[in-house]
Amino acid sequence: MTAMEKSATSAPAATSQPGGRGRRWRLASWAPVIVLVLLCAAITAINPNFLSFGNAVRISQAAMIPLVLGLGATFIILMGSIDLSVEGVLTLATVILSLLVLNGANANELGLLAVVVVLLVGAGVGFVNGVIHVRLKVPSFMTTLGIWFIGVGVANALLGGMAVRINDPWIRGLAIDRFLGFPWGVWLALFCLAVALVIQDHTRLGRYIYALGGGEELAALSGIPVARVRIAAFTLAGVFYAVGGILAAAQLGLGNAQIGNGRLFTTITAVVVGGTALSGGQGGVVQTLVGVLIVVVLSNGMVLMGVPPSVQIGVQGLMIIAAVALSIDRKLMRIVK
Amino acid sequence: MVERIRIGATGRMVRRREILKGAATMGIAGAFPGLIARRAFAADTPTVVNSIRSLSNPYHATWNKGGAAFAASVGAEYVTLVTEGNSEKGIADIKAILAKTGGNCVINVDPNDSPDARPIVEAAKAAGAYVVTQWNKPNDLHPWDFDPNYVAHISFSGVPYGKAMADTLIKAMGGKGGIVALGGIESNVPAIERKAGLQQALDENPGVELLDLQVANWSATEALEKTNAWLTQFGDQIGGIWAANDDMALAAVEALRADGRAGKVPVTGIDGIQLAVEAILAGEMVGTVAWDPFWQGGMGLSIGYHAKTGKFDPSTEPKDHREFYGTGVIITSENAQSYYDTNVKAEPALDWNDIWGRVSGQIQYS
Repeated sequence: MTAMEKSATSAPAATSQPGGRGRRWRLASWAPVIVLVLLCAAITAINPNFLSFGNAVRISQAAMIPLVLGLGATFIILMGSIDLSVEGVLTLATVILSLLVLNGANANELGLLAVVVVLLVGAGVGFVNGVIHVRLKVPSFMTTLGIWFIGVGVANALLGGMAVRINDPWIRGLAIDRFLGFPWGVWLALFCLAVALVIQDHTRLGRYIYALGGGEELAALSGIPVARVRIAAFTLAGVFYAVGGILAAAQLGLGNAQIGNGRLFTTITAVVVGGTALSGGQGGVVQTLVGVLIVVVLSNGMVLMGVPPSVQIGVQGLMIIAAVALSIDRKLMRIVK
Repeated sequence: MVERIRIGATGRMVRRREILKGAATMGIAGAFPGLIARRAFAADTPTVVNSIRSLSNPYHATWNKGGAAFAASVGAEYVTLVTEGNSEKGIADIKAILAKTGGNCVINVDPNDSPDARPIVEAAKAAGAYVVTQWNKPNDLHPWDFDPNYVAHISFSGVPYGKAMADTLIKAMGGKGGIVALGGIESNVPAIERKAGLQQALDENPGVELLDLQVANWSATEALEKTNAWLTQFGDQIGGIWAANDDMALAAVEALRADGRAGKVPVTGIDGIQLAVEAILAGEMVGTVAWDPFWQGGMGLSIGYHAKTGKFDPSTEPKDHREFYGTGVIITSENAQSYYDTNVKAEPALDWNDIWGRVSGQIQYS
């Protein structure tokens, strides 16, 4: 079976496997969804307010940024690489946006043009990630770690440690104004999900990314331009992180160099909990949606259930292990690193 | 033969990479001192040095401005050292500046962690430099044990200000209703003290109920999530939100705004950052406490500078001038505008010679 065949069908009904494994594999790939449903049921049993429309809106608000970040990271993890530059790109995007739109620190008022600039910055940083990784053959872990610090460093230098209030009504409107009861930012995140889904399933880039994750040497021998695919995937991820930065700016109404803190952990957790394997080739953006919902529902639910603050982080750790343990098909794996 | 060529080729490649690496390192190493210590050191007036955690947060950035303002007022060379949260780097940088100035310097340091204070003070004493520490030091390390070089230690008690903010909040709520509270990192001393202050205010106001306290680790992002969950859990029961710092308070305001309730539910913070003062002016927050990092950055140097230049002898000063609590400025809607005009819009004009003006008692150890 080639890598291309393996990725021919996708999420969440999952890949076809030869012989009797098919049924078991499908069940394992549904594990995150089952975890999510059980989680929701447990929280509702303790606090019925969980199912209210208002809370659904709040969960969607909490999920929109991790979702967009997770979409970008999914493509990288599908290739079997890792991207640690999430916080760097997001922080840089937020800070640049806050300085270009109507704000409390300078006279700029570029409006939507600023959004375009920020998306280009995200793409640019992602492109640099990819080029350093591929051309200089630096492992993605180290490349993106470096870019993370550079991104935060540049953001620091731009602001000199201060915070900038964002007054642009368009940007703030993403978090405040609503359509069908949900903030525009949530619709934007869903739009990103749709875009990611199309890229994953209906473009050559998406198929190649799966192929690389399934077996890079095989992919290279089959004539797939490995270097170009890798660079394109990092560039794409950078754009998604920049969108995440725009949403973060909208939500908190300010840009500062600490706005990205802690988001890398949530992003990688959500992708992996959703069922995308760190080894690459398995999973996809729909799994990431499920993973994000698990992480967000859990943290929302622990407050609703009155779990003591000192215990919450431990419960999160248990959930991560449980969700991943349930979704792994151990028969496929001989070596675990 | 073939083998040797291969080894030789590998060797050359490694060397080339090493050279590139070396060149990059030298470039970076060369750029940093250039960024931080721009001017040459003057011979006679002591160099004044601030050692702080980072320049990436408004608090320490303002601290740095205060230091620069003091240095300009006495015409001294000014150096900022940044630990970036790394104790080893913090101590090494201070030793380097001691060596460079031959001990002719005054150091005002916010130690990265409490244990760091001891090696810093010992190194300063050995070099003959004068040092003032703020916030962090071990409880058994006292300035009077290192006369005269360890001039003073300054801290702020979180209890009275945590209580003052809770009182402000309760007043804004009309003396009754439910409060939710956002706490800092559970093991941090300021977080523990501010929470204790909140508890005191709650004990005095039986009509007010603490609905829930969540730890949001000083982070705006986490505070936003916690507040969102509360809006589901408690809804209209929330009469006020107390936050242990301004970042979390501002995030709570944003959560309320997305719910259409910003300005309707009173929120208090602590730290006195610019955006919080602006939020008070906009009616979205009701109070904060300014530690005045501008004062901390400048006055810590001023106290050390006065001792170094012989204006007073630290060893004859009373103990409440050697280890003291500074005074925070409580900001509410009543004084927010005047505070904003004098401290935010304009650079604060402080009398750097009034070195004991904000002493509010000797530090107590529990």
